[in-house]
Amino acid sequence: MQKTIKHQFFFPNPPEAVWEYLTKAELIEQWLMPNDFQLILGYDFRFIVKPMPSLNLDGIAYCKILEIVPFKKLTYSWKAGPGEGEITVDSIVEWTFVPKDNGTELQLVHSGFKEIENFNVYTAMDNGWVKQVGIITSLLNK
Amino acid sequence: MAQQTLDAFQVIADPSRREMLHLLSKKSLTINSLAENFDMSRPAVSKHIKILNVAGFITIQDIGRERHCMLKQDGFNELQEWINFFDKFWLTKLKKLEMLLQQKSIKQ
Repeated sequence: MQKTIKHQFFFPNPPEAVWEYLTKAELIEQWLMPNDFQLILGYDFRFIVKPMPSLNLDGIAYCKILEIVPFKKLTYSWKAGPGEGEITVDSIVEWTFVPKDNGTELQLVHSGFKEIENFNVYTAMDNGWVKQVGIITSLLNK
Repeated sequence: MAQQTLDAFQVIADPSRREMLHLLSKKSLTINSLAENFDMSRPAVSKHIKILNVAGFITIQDIGRERHCMLKQDGFNELQEWINFFDKFWLTKLKKLEMLLQQKSIKQ
């Protein structure tokens, strides 16, 4: 089971220009979501999208800025849930800016879905399935 | 019913339920033998089992006089769907950013 989301994009712009689009509220909104982002370590901000009932999410991401390395790295927490302050998804969004010839490589890692990572059943699953089928078969044949 | 509104994340957010799934990933167990692993009342164990069942993480089969719990794929699929959703979400958003930044670089 995949636990981490990773994307990598190249932009024909210097890291400073890409950085602006990830750290200025009005520029973030142009490509991502309405937000009240401020580039301050420890600052709490929100992304607001439409509710996603199929995923049981109220459409608000509660975030906190965890790391700022200007033009190099930006990390924030990303918490979401069904509403009324209940948090069911607790994750981390990490942006890394790598200067390249004629541009910038932007790397995104969205990870730390605590519930999933705490939950090592996945790796045990395949094994478990085979055993169970065996047990059930033997029980049914009794 | 309250259980039906629980999503997969809420279901596995509870340590006892995670432990139950861990035990069941090793082998299927009767409700009685599952309950022996937990220092809680039998009704409390039953409640957790019911939640796991409703959310599609386990199925319960009656074999003889015993009720056997075993893992089921559905609940796990829901977790995977969530990851898939966000994977696509970011890809779409980053393509939009790419477009904006390309326009900006042409203007300069």
